[in-house]
Amino acid sequence: MISLRHITKRFGGVTALDDVSLDIKSGERLALIGENGAGKSSLMNVLYGLYHPDSGDVTFDGQPVRIKTPADALARGVGMVHQHFTLVPTLSVTENVVLGREPTKFGALDLQRARREVDATCAKFGFSLDTGARVSDLSVGSQQKVEIVKALHRGVTTLILDEPTAVLTPSEADELFAVTRKLSDEGLAVVLISHKLREVLMFSTRIAVMRRGKKVAEAIPAETTPEQLAELMVGVRVEAPPQGASATPGATVAALERITAPGLRELSLSIRAGEILGIAGVDGNGQRELAEVLTGLRPWDGGALHFEGEPVVRWTPRAARERGVAHVPEDRLRRAVISDLSVEENASLGRHTRAPFAKGARIDFETRRAHTTALLEANDVRPREPALRVGALSGGNQQKLVVGRELASEPKLLVVVQPTRGLDIAAVTAVRELLREQRRRGCAVLLVSLDLDEVLELSDRVLVMYGGQLTGEFARGQFDERVIGRRMLGILDA
Amino acid sequence: MRELRGALPSILSVITAVVVCFFAAALTRDLSTAVDAFIAMTWGAFGDWPRFFETGNAALVLRPLGESATKAAILTFTGLSVTVAFRVGLFNIGAQGQLVVGALAAAVVGAKVDLPALLHIPLCLLAAALAGALWALGPALLKLKRGVHEVISTIMLNWVAVSLVDNWLVVGPLRATSSGDNSVSGTDQILASAELPRLLGDVSRLNFGFVLAVLAALATWLFLTRFTRGFEWRAIGLSQDAARASGIDVERGFLEAMLLAGAFAGLGGAVLILGTELKYPASLGAPWGFDGIAMALIGQGHPLGVLATSTLFGGLRAGGTRMQLFGVHKSFPELMQGLALLLVAARLMWDRLIARVWRRKESP
Amino acid sequence: MILALLSSVLDAAPPLVFAALGATLCERAGVVNVGVEGMMRAGAFAAAVAALAMPTPLGVLVGMAAGAGVAALHGWLTIRLRSDQVVSGMALNLVMLALGTFLLEAVFNSPSSTPAITQLPLWFGHSPLTWLAVVLPFVVHFVVTRTPWGLRLRAVGEKPQAVAAMGVRVAPLRFTAVLLSGALAGLGGAALSTATLDRFEHHMPSGMGFMAVAAMVFGRWTPLGAAAAAAFFAFGNALRIGLASSAPGLLEVVPQGVLLALPYVLTLVVLALQGAKNVAPAALGQPYDAELR
Repeated sequence: MISLRHITKRFGGVTALDDVSLDIKSGERLALIGENGAGKSSLMNVLYGLYHPDSGDVTFDGQPVRIKTPADALARGVGMVHQHFTLVPTLSVTENVVLGREPTKFGALDLQRARREVDATCAKFGFSLDTGARVSDLSVGSQQKVEIVKALHRGVTTLILDEPTAVLTPSEADELFAVTRKLSDEGLAVVLISHKLREVLMFSTRIAVMRRGKKVAEAIPAETTPEQLAELMVGVRVEAPPQGASATPGATVAALERITAPGLRELSLSIRAGEILGIAGVDGNGQRELAEVLTGLRPWDGGALHFEGEPVVRWTPRAARERGVAHVPEDRLRRAVISDLSVEENASLGRHTRAPFAKGARIDFETRRAHTTALLEANDVRPREPALRVGALSGGNQQKLVVGRELASEPKLLVVVQPTRGLDIAAVTAVRELLREQRRRGCAVLLVSLDLDEVLELSDRVLVMYGGQLTGEFARGQFDERVIGRRMLGILDA
Repeated sequence: MRELRGALPSILSVITAVVVCFFAAALTRDLSTAVDAFIAMTWGAFGDWPRFFETGNAALVLRPLGESATKAAILTFTGLSVTVAFRVGLFNIGAQGQLVVGALAAAVVGAKVDLPALLHIPLCLLAAALAGALWALGPALLKLKRGVHEVISTIMLNWVAVSLVDNWLVVGPLRATSSGDNSVSGTDQILASAELPRLLGDVSRLNFGFVLAVLAALATWLFLTRFTRGFEWRAIGLSQDAARASGIDVERGFLEAMLLAGAFAGLGGAVLILGTELKYPASLGAPWGFDGIAMALIGQGHPLGVLATSTLFGGLRAGGTRMQLFGVHKSFPELMQGLALLLVAARLMWDRLIARVWRRKESP
Repeated sequence: MILALLSSVLDAAPPLVFAALGATLCERAGVVNVGVEGMMRAGAFAAAVAALAMPTPLGVLVGMAAGAGVAALHGWLTIRLRSDQVVSGMALNLVMLALGTFLLEAVFNSPSSTPAITQLPLWFGHSPLTWLAVVLPFVVHFVVTRTPWGLRLRAVGEKPQAVAAMGVRVAPLRFTAVLLSGALAGLGGAALSTATLDRFEHHMPSGMGFMAVAAMVFGRWTPLGAAAAAAFFAFGNALRIGLASSAPGLLEVVPQGVLLALPYVLTLVVLALQGAKNVAPAALGQPYDAELR
């Protein structure tokens, strides 16, 4: 049995883990649940030697053990499969699996033996993998299998899976759960980090709930309900999502006509003023590419984009912005804000060449300050310091700044991708309300989210994407999660 | 206060480098020689003020200062060259090559074209700036069109420039023709109309180049902080993806910044030729372009920081020649500069140290 | 004629081959090395100085140690302090340039060179280092492609997180590669001052470190490719020098400077043609921080 005792871990001023204790028993399937940023992954990274706790310790069968590196963890039989794969794309499956403990012959790498051994591990646990293939040639689902095989090949007795289904199709996820069930039957302890209540209830034998760096409860699946778990995770009673007022859509704002681009295959769709058009789909089926085409970030090879009825010719991010397209991108720190610039400089990004941010070729410092101050006030961004580095703001405040900035331009088309990922519940509510407000104002909103619940809650119309194409269209009132789920997998006949 | 704290790693690095070099001198000679040599270097760099007050001879101060500023001008230009590229996130290792072609262009136009000074000097400067910009255009295009990293391409073009200019053009087709005397090396002397006017008459070689360098640094600073295009450059340098998503033309920013970087390095070459060398010599004397990397980094990518750094090291170099009188080699300032750069590169070390001291001060 | 040319390639190639192999090892680990020039200079100087006091072969070892010493600084700056790898390399170049000149002056009181040393003896008409330069590329190739350490090296240059997750520590692995790189560059420098010439001269290695970087890029970051490119560049040099003595007329048509520029131009052309298809290690230039969130 592994015990984590009174673990505390801080990053700068942020306490990621606050006096957390947790036991992991062999043969059990423990689910570790909590919202994004609750500390689930951090806790397991401590167990895996990637983070070093500021205080607290880890014991194996009662013996305190210092785990300084993943090597120490692996030596103790602890393996971890990360959300972001730690595979070397240029190497083969076998090379990836044996990395760090390579079989040798006279000091040289014995790749034949390595391949035999890896094949044996795959066979033992029922994985089918081409162990000679280059990892970059494999599908996401197969890459995850490689990750698990890596751990099993080391003979781990405790396997940590960090949000394993985030990147999988539902059928791949089912396959994964079947495999892990088999592993726990053979005596392995399996820890599943997740925030999806349904899969947790289906999969686990025990559930630990985390909130804001603390473990707040433990539960047995049979004795709890999704509502109870949600309340523990979020800390306040979650009401059933309000149904959005059914919209009265206006004229078509943007229309794609058989657009073909990397990731998109002859995609046609249209977005009307005053509606929220939700795009559902498993990660990597062209949703991002669609958002990038609309915002001018991705050129297309064939087809046409119509904006307000006319085909567009040169569609760059600048042209799109000038025509009234606003963009709340998925990766905030990569595309939406620049951490090392001040709040006011970030508030001007995108419209920095125009009033109120510029006068001719020069920056208009005075009106920029005034505008930013108002923006911070209106969107409740804290602290209200225009001269502060944006990197010093919390993620939620950064996102509120971004959404506020994009909406301040009173866009005709708003493209939002994963707008609430990683935000706390208050910020989620605020951002969703802002989107609804834009719809009421008559803005066309394209919402891309991997969170199907979010798409269903907000959208007036849902399009399902699979393999760069549309596989279904559903108006509000016709939403059927099971049908949508099948369409997300490309299964067209109901 | 925040600016001061930002500059602190550079200041500490320079001080450490000077101290280390002082000990090196004391070890290789002896302590009193080292002290004398360093004092001589200081007077040689920034003026022999004590003797000036004694004798009232202004040349004792003006001549060293003039010499320092002359060197500082070239360092400032190459430092700015590296800096402007830096601000859009590009590493221009190619200032050396750009300076070489700029210097050659200035030397050729200065010698072969006959014009009144009022037109001749600007034409020479323009030619040098264009040549430097052209030499930087290649890496910019290779980066934009073919994804070639600018560090690799500018390194390659440095050696292409040096090989072609120093080992071919200057010893071959463009070699001075004025006399049959074999001892003449380098290109033809430039015409008097192309010489940059001297600011202190016969007291010093100090010339208009220094004024140009100061103006260039000020203009760059204003451009980066006050103008929307400068803001765009900074945004590109800090996050290409965010800049692109905000409608900023990242490719154009790269191109403009690299061209300006090349032009600055080329102007550095022009100031060297038109101000002091008066022809393209057999050897340029110092790796001015590589020194520019040190100026940009010690100056922390701030145009005025670059100006200050260049003034300091230009001064130390000018003063360095006086150390020879004490048997200390004149390459000492270069050693200090290299060490200072190395220490600035160890930025994290200073940050940790400063953070620790700051915290102690704040919580007594 | 051709034999003489081949022979002069065998003499000219070792410094470049060693340095190119060194650069390749370092960059395959994901650490940019534009400091090869400085490491070579350290090796050349230290080897020549040591050879004044001890047998020259031992001096060569001292040269390697000096190169590794400079590389240790590079490793400390880039791996430990996560400094910019290009900055660190260029800074070391500038320091070594100045330090070499200073030490020449301070120790030998000469601006141009150290006193002469006993050159390395000849084996079958060439320096032992020449034969080493013939064998070493294959050894490095074997190490990189066929040993556990080589597998880890390739992995850490592509994706350090993968290596860390498998329980191999990134920093020591990279540090080892950087040190080996420095030792090889130092060996290249030592070859200049103990085999090519019989002393350290103030301009050494006069850009050869940068040519080694070019060879590495030209050879697509593979040991055999880099060594072949280095040999090819050395061939170009030998041809140029050979032409200067045997056919001076030809040099009027194709001047020396143009030939000197050729390796760099060729590298640029190759880079331009191979274009967006990037062959450099994916994690090249990125510092690794295990606790980075």
